[in-house]
Amino acid sequence: MSYAPAMTATTQVRRALAGRSYLFSVLLLIIVVSINYALQPNMFRPASLSGNLRTYLPLMLLAAGQAIIVIGGGIDLSIGAIVSLVNVIIVRALGVDPSPGRIALAIALGLLAGTLAGAFNGLCAAYLRFQPIITTFATSFVFSGLALWVLPSPGGVVPPDLLRAYAANPLRIPLAIWVAALVLLLWGALRATRFGTYLYAVGGQPLSAYVTGVPVSLVRLASYSIGGLLAACGSLALTLNTGTGDPLVGGPMTLPSVVAVVIGGTRLSGGQGGIAGALIGVVVLRLLDSIISFANVPSWWQTFAQGMIVMVALAGPGLVALVRGQRP
Amino acid sequence: MHQIALTAHQLVKRYGGVVALADGSLEVRSGEVVALVGANGSGKSTLGKIITGAVAPDGGQLILDGRAVHFPSPQAARRAGIAAVYQDLSLVPDLTVAENIWLAHEPIGWGWRVRRGAMREATARLLDLFAGTVRSTLTPETPVAALPPDERQIVEILKALSLNPRLMILDEATASLDSNQVARLFELVARWKAEGMAVIFVSHRMEEIFRLADRAVVLRSGQTVGTRDLRTTSEQELVALMIEGGLAVESRSAAGATRGAERLRVAGLRAGAVRGVDLSLHDGEIVGLGGLRGQGQTDLLLALFGALPFTGEVRLAGQPVRFTHPSQAMEAGIAFVPGDRTREGLLPIRSILENLLLPSWHRYGALLRLTQARRDAQAMAQRLNLVMESLDAPVSSLSGGNAQKVVLGKWLLREPRLLLLDDPTKGVDVGAKREFYQSLEELRDAGVAILLYSSDDEELLGLCDRVLVLRDGQVRAELAGPTLTRAELVSASIGALMGETS
Repeated sequence: MSYAPAMTATTQVRRALAGRSYLFSVLLLIIVVSINYALQPNMFRPASLSGNLRTYLPLMLLAAGQAIIVIGGGIDLSIGAIVSLVNVIIVRALGVDPSPGRIALAIALGLLAGTLAGAFNGLCAAYLRFQPIITTFATSFVFSGLALWVLPSPGGVVPPDLLRAYAANPLRIPLAIWVAALVLLLWGALRATRFGTYLYAVGGQPLSAYVTGVPVSLVRLASYSIGGLLAACGSLALTLNTGTGDPLVGGPMTLPSVVAVVIGGTRLSGGQGGIAGALIGVVVLRLLDSIISFANVPSWWQTFAQGMIVMVALAGPGLVALVRGQRP
Repeated sequence: MHQIALTAHQLVKRYGGVVALADGSLEVRSGEVVALVGANGSGKSTLGKIITGAVAPDGGQLILDGRAVHFPSPQAARRAGIAAVYQDLSLVPDLTVAENIWLAHEPIGWGWRVRRGAMREATARLLDLFAGTVRSTLTPETPVAALPPDERQIVEILKALSLNPRLMILDEATASLDSNQVARLFELVARWKAEGMAVIFVSHRMEEIFRLADRAVVLRSGQTVGTRDLRTTSEQELVALMIEGGLAVESRSAAGATRGAERLRVAGLRAGAVRGVDLSLHDGEIVGLGGLRGQGQTDLLLALFGALPFTGEVRLAGQPVRFTHPSQAMEAGIAFVPGDRTREGLLPIRSILENLLLPSWHRYGALLRLTQARRDAQAMAQRLNLVMESLDAPVSSLSGGNAQKVVLGKWLLREPRLLLLDDPTKGVDVGAKREFYQSLEELRDAGVAILLYSSDDEELLGLCDRVLVLRDGQVRAELAGPTLTRAELVSASIGALMGETS
């Protein structure tokens, strides 16, 4: 069977955007920044900018993790639950008035837990061949349950020194920007290794990758583990920002992490896209939220808008084919 | 380059009850091009896949450089210096040409970084081999998704070459190349041969085989039936060897005397792989579509069923029609039995009853008249001699042949006037095939017009009143009566000249 016309059309679009999948998100960023600036110019004063970026950073790290998983052909709907789990583990491990050693231990424990949770998802998806969407939907309840077991109700405190460190602006540049730059740098290094190519190959055409000798299952496992680690880093940032533990804190972050990836120009079917777009996607999304809240409408409009973005991203190719009069 | 000598000795491969390869044997050594030839289903692809480790043999031996070897995976064969170029490509569309060629054996530098510069240069050198025969847009940095089929095939060839193989298998690798590219490939093969590479060339094109190969290994019904030195062998001799017992096998007695009015007339039809087909089909007639796989037969059937956009003229019982959706074709009395039973023809976990009635529920009212429906389904099951537990058993409990009867039955309940079949007996055992043929013959005698594509030459010879042989999307021969023989069918399929012998 041949659907040649559709092939060439998408091919052209793909070629035009090859390696620049984040361009669309930059365009959106310019639009939402302009609108926000018109509505509330105060928002872009250094102090409030730094404060805002602090609240964006957890989701940025989460979206980076989600992007790596999606590029590898998977998706992680448990990423918010991982945030909750890591958050309560860190807070419980810190206890009251912790020593520096204990702080290091708590952070290490949190990061380890996140990585292991991601690896568990990866094991199910890569080796047991479960469907990623169902698997991670199910494990999200497992991780949420564990979080509630570790800390049944919100509580705990983070030492004020840590909170101050998170609010710092080294060299007068907000910490969030340093962290985002570091993530991009590490991603660039990873992308340059053989693993980087493998990740895109596995997400794009797993069978071709397999017959060519790519260790497909191992790459999938690694993508979920890295995603889990980044989710744990996001949770650490969140903990340092809120200064407390809450077993339900991460749940509402799952959808935005996927939306940010989509806005960043990464196809949900995998094999394409990048991290930079996802990071920009988070900023776009949060500024969009602030426009909606400025409009003085109920906050569920924010969720509605996010849902619509995913729907349009999923429906896009089908709609184009429908308009062109081609069958699926 | 290291010398290589590979011997395949009496290799056997079974798929369920079907024997794909009964005695596959060949020998190839450095500096030699061996062609693997045979008709449809002769087992040449299976033999090739065993050698590259893509398929595990059930018996026989593979001897490499004097030692028996066993390749559990394509990687194992690759490590032994055997690389394959397949027709069904192994490229990742989103990656660039360079990334695809070096996938899984990238040059690695400091800090595990892929040496992209080195990779790009090496790719450019490889692409230079085909310079002048490809568009200038084919560069190491082009994403494979942006390439047309011929350039993808070339990338696939270069990908195999990048492994520095001692033995390269070209499986129908010329099918999507144009004549310039084929000529260049042949020059390159000649060069590699001189450098000591061994090449196995699987092809249907006689002309190319004689141009390129030194020897031909001929397979027939899964057996190696001979090896010929191509300098001293004629095309006729080779074709005769491919065809069982020489020539002139009788076809069925021409029984289709009850030919009725013209049901279907097609003129200049183009769709997908179909490049201009004319044909005419009468009531009470079975017309076969023959030829090698993938010459446009399936696309022709899909176009007639309104599932593939086409240009050209289609007349149904004299009336011009233009279907844009299968439901319109169904409305006009056309039924389509797809080749892939489990994916396109049936709902495996649902009952036989539901499957049979799926296209016909509208006849049983908004509140379904279930008793009537069940009676009709029961009658159809009896008519088709369906061997089943009950109508409520799931279709997945049936054997392949019986399952295919359900697909046929579900369309017969709509009483079609024109029946299109797309390789309906693929993977069906012999006994069930016979019953299936009987059902088709009964339909023909009842005046239904039947257009049947089959990859099984015996089936076309035994069942059809006429056979149209397709090659490259066009009807190259129409065989009927005295010319409907195995020899004619095979030689028309591969484009060999049978002038003197027919």
